Amino acid sequence: QGSKLEIPLWLAKGLHDSKRRIISVELPKIYKEAWRTVFSADANVVDLHKMGPYYYGLGSQLLNFENPENPEIAQTILQASTFIARFRRIMDSSQNAYNEDTSALVARLDELERALFQVGQKGLNDFQCWEKGQASQITASSLVQNYGKRKLTEVDG
Amino acid sequence: MEPAEVEFLAEKELVTIVPNFSLDRIHLIGGDLGPFNPGLPVEVPVWLAINLKQRQKCRLIPPEWMDVGKLEEIRDQERKEDTFTPMPSPYYMELTKLLLNYASDNIPRADEIRTLVKDTWDTRVAKLRLSADSFVRQQEAHAKLDNLTLMEINTTGTFLTQALDQMYKLRTNFQPGESSHSQDF
Repeated sequence: QGSKLEIPLWLAKGLHDSKRRIISVELPKIYKEAWRTVFSADANVVDLHKMGPYYYGLGSQLLNFENPENPEIAQTILQASTFIARFRRIMDSSQNAYNEDTSALVARLDELERALFQVGQKGLNDFQCWEKGQASQITASSLVQNYGKRKLTEVDG
Repeated sequence: MEPAEVEFLAEKELVTIVPNFSLDRIHLIGGDLGPFNPGLPVEVPVWLAINLKQRQKCRLIPPEWMDVGKLEEIRDQERKEDTFTPMPSPYYMELTKLLLNYASDNIPRADEIRTLVKDTWDTRVAKLRLSADSFVRQQEAHAKLDNLTLMEINTTGTFLTQALDQMYKLRTNFQPGESSHSQDF
């Protein structure tokens, strides 16, 4: 006892029991106060992918382990500090992309934000495709295009 | 919904054509159409109008709002107001696309019209995003937006509803422990 270990979250959740106190969980840096201040200053500059690509998911799970800072953490994850603040940027860029290079922005999003970004992009792409009249054209599926043609020599050999 | 599905619904709107053939009144499941007499204007749904036009059996008359002056007014009003202006047709975007693609020879100043409609669309969509952003920021429970068309809602709808779902999940974090054992992140 008294030693520090790294274990997966699912294991920590299993071992956790508020009555017997087998383990206590230490908060990853990004949920601690220092980082929380950064988030309230400007949430948009943080590279969430680098800091832990499941920021929102992990953060929500961490709240299961009693910790006096929990209300502040929950607040930060949701609040103008983070999701809400970054929401506008995600929405605007996913709906305005027009084939511009958005990879720089997307690289800094965590997984939840990326999924949202892709949904937004799809909405835009479908609309543009329709507008150009491509919605009613038959195009080769991208899967088929990647097959390439097999050469006769390959089949023999 | 796919944009193509919204377009399908739009094709039920009525538009005036001038046929060059004659045909007695026809009875379709949705209602009666015709009779058709050469040179006499008649109202038909857009799907039929486009079909006839492609077979060179008619000439299309643009709807009265599809005119440069009127569209400029609408565009300017859209830019001035914070709320959404009522559009002359709930399917203005689809009708513009269809009529200008298939019957631009029947529509005077087609290119200008295309640009004006696009400008108006861009302004409206930007307003919609602004509204969505303030909705999220203030974590409102309801929002009411008048005079939006189906195509606009359809383009931004999925993104907004998913974002709100995520926000809701994050909000339930404020409830203590036992109930939040869900793994569906």
